[in-house]
Amino acid sequence: MMKSTKSTEPIRVGVLFSETGVTSVIEESERMGTLLAIQEVNDAGGINGRELQAVSYDPASRPAKFAALAEKLILEDRVHVILGCYMSSTRKAVIPVVERWNALLMYPTLYEGFEYSRNVIYTGAAPNQNSVQLAEFMLREFGSRVFMVGSDYIYPYESNRIMSDLILERGGEKVGETYLPLDAPWEDYLAVAKKIKQAAPDFIFSTVVGDGTALLHRAYAQLKLDPADMPIASLTTCEAEIKQMGADIAEGHITSAPYFQSIATDENRLCVARCKARFGNDIVTNQCWEAAYFQAHLLASAMRRMNCDSVPDLLRALPGSEFAAPQGKVRIDEHNHHTYLRPRIGRAIANGQFDIIEEARHWVRPDPYLVSHTLQDWSARVQAHSR
Amino acid sequence: MKSGGTSRLLRELRSLRVVVFHPDDQDGQELIGQLGRIGCQVKAFWPPLDKLPEEADLVFFAMRPEILSMDLPWLRREGSPPVIPVVTYENPVIVEAVLQLNAFSVIASPVKSFGLLTAIAVAVSQAEKSRTREKYVVRLEQRLTAQRKIAKAKAILMTSRHMSEEEAYDLIRNRAMTKRVTTEEIADAVIKANEILGFDVKG
Repeated sequence: MMKSTKSTEPIRVGVLFSETGVTSVIEESERMGTLLAIQEVNDAGGINGRELQAVSYDPASRPAKFAALAEKLILEDRVHVILGCYMSSTRKAVIPVVERWNALLMYPTLYEGFEYSRNVIYTGAAPNQNSVQLAEFMLREFGSRVFMVGSDYIYPYESNRIMSDLILERGGEKVGETYLPLDAPWEDYLAVAKKIKQAAPDFIFSTVVGDGTALLHRAYAQLKLDPADMPIASLTTCEAEIKQMGADIAEGHITSAPYFQSIATDENRLCVARCKARFGNDIVTNQCWEAAYFQAHLLASAMRRMNCDSVPDLLRALPGSEFAAPQGKVRIDEHNHHTYLRPRIGRAIANGQFDIIEEARHWVRPDPYLVSHTLQDWSARVQAHSR
Repeated sequence: MKSGGTSRLLRELRSLRVVVFHPDDQDGQELIGQLGRIGCQVKAFWPPLDKLPEEADLVFFAMRPEILSMDLPWLRREGSPPVIPVVTYENPVIVEAVLQLNAFSVIASPVKSFGLLTAIAVAVSQAEKSRTREKYVVRLEQRLTAQRKIAKAKAILMTSRHMSEEEAYDLIRNRAMTKRVTTEEIADAVIKANEILGFDVKG
């Protein structure tokens, strides 16, 4: 591929987040984080004077559409870098495309691990940065009898395997495990909630994603189950899902994530304020928004340093690079292309935000190929966060 | 396809000691990089050593033309760790060499990170099963030989001592118990004595 040499020509990047379909709510917020960062880059002079331009399409939460649009971005729009994907099935569809054309995908979503591609940078949490922390917290605070409910695709299966191992290791018990199609109707969630009520676990581990998250919480609330007694623990239910479902039915449930909107640092407050100024006062931020935001900044600073957007150059600059993100400092690991992140546990409160009840003292190195997790690792690093 | 917990093999991936016989080129680096990400303990050499480092659990082996003439005694030794060939050529000569390695999985050049974990899991698991099967076959063969000897000894006793089959077997077993040896050894003794003294010659 020829490098553009004109120093005033804009640099285009592909943006692939669904604006329609089952996971559009969270993907819209990833798009928002991406566009905010791109605007900030341009306000600060772009890539050494060149404008950073987003070319954005709607892949409609469908893997095949993701693959087709990734190819279109690379071949027709001539982008070298794509910022995008939420569900693992959509990332898996895009990877062969970026590998074939030697493009770069930056993926801002937590996922189940066991992947490395030289053509992908992963900026969401790996299981050793969210699952272990969640298991440790739930087992300590609520007990070891768990009911697992997930959407029927790869991420829930692998997340549940990790959670099962951690729970069995502690002598805990899995009292139920059930998977629902991504587009399952309300009645299915109600049936699951009834099963949960009957099994009376200590907590529920939910790997339901997309619109189903709201349905699960609504079914839970309808059966008058009590979050103080038997909360839903999740790695994916964040501020965007809560806004979609209504804060009243989210209150009291637990989420493990490296970022919450309520993080009380100046960097975060200012960043949230800038986002509201651009997209409206009623928007909420969340872990996926934040990863989408900081990965675009990491990309821009790599482009500035190499003074181009060629993938071989970016792959020299990105690994090992750091950024002061809203969650604190983050860093891309040189060896596995995942990101050092700071694990946190939040409890949803009445205003649709999270009370951060625990956070790691330091960032945690990503370890996407860790098969057996141990609970010890994290408990040594947590500190109670009293508010 | 649901299973209980994570299998022992996957849990123990990080204690796997892997020897890589591969030149220090892009494939070699990709291979070692991904083994590092998976978390295996890796040692790399080129050219291949004629003696395996102690306690290797798995060997990656670059199937380069220059290794065809090498004599590597550990390759075919019983109890050698499983070998995963890394193939760059696919002509009959190389394919034939791969077949001789008795490999359970193969990595193709250019080496990619994707697929390596599965190749390792399949190779280690199949090698374990194959070792168990071999041991089982050896035990079966031994048992079969013993059964044949006992049958022959019984026949000798039945003819020479006019015993029933049951009496002949009881005699063998009782002797084995008093002498604290196996029934096979007693059967052996009966057969040898017969060969020397000719019990079965009817007098």
